[in-house]
Amino acid sequence: MQTFQLILKNQIKELEKLAINVEELSVKWNIPTEIVMEINLVLEELFTNVVFYAYDDKMEHNIILDFVLIDEHHLKICLEDDGKPFNLLEKNMNSTLDKSIEDRQIGGLGIHFVRELMNSVDYKRTVDKNIVILMKNF
Amino acid sequence: MEIKEQETDQCVIIGITGRLDTTSYSMLERKLMELIDSHHDKILVDCSKMDYISSSGLRILLMALKKITQMKGKFVLCCLQENIHEIFEISGFTSIFEIHLSREDALKVF
Repeated sequence: MQTFQLILKNQIKELEKLAINVEELSVKWNIPTEIVMEINLVLEELFTNVVFYAYDDKMEHNIILDFVLIDEHHLKICLEDDGKPFNLLEKNMNSTLDKSIEDRQIGGLGIHFVRELMNSVDYKRTVDKNIVILMKNF
Repeated sequence: MEIKEQETDQCVIIGITGRLDTTSYSMLERKLMELIDSHHDKILVDCSKMDYISSSGLRILLMALKKITQMKGKFVLCCLQENIHEIFEISGFTSIFEIHLSREDALKVF
């Protein structure tokens, strides 16, 4: 089992750091390229959600990502923030996907990606933290 | 991300290189809005060199498709990389966008 922790500030420009770290980690842990893109996509959606919606203050916050390579085909990622409670599992996006172009709402796709691209998604709320736990098999 | 614009007799071709994500989508949004505001209603987006797209990027493409459809124009995509095509499928976007495998095929529709 191998682990890696990445701490990001709640600023959108940190996305670049996130992408670079995921790429580097994937090389080190032999994660296939197509899976790297899916992981990046999901983490971008979750991270930007937190940056845009989790905080009402203008303070700096840490968003903590813990990567755990359980074995050579199973990756676990925990994303932790100290923002407002937000359970992404309560959002149901499927109903918007088969709508025609006129009815399509711009937005809401991010959560759908998270559910589609990961093998499992869990959410926990502790006293003051949101924790999203992702599992990806490859 | 880099955007290349090329005007042909049939349409305007927008070539995207690199990552279309939350940090870069506004560049594409500005370019597309500029074209739409100047009444260009035939646009082809060449995605052959686009190696990443997030929901922010997809939103901009959907916005452009909606506006150009209202103008009775055409907004077409071509040359999606395999993993990008997968993202379009998951989004349900393959059924609402006109997507061609090659630039040559795409140009025939204008």
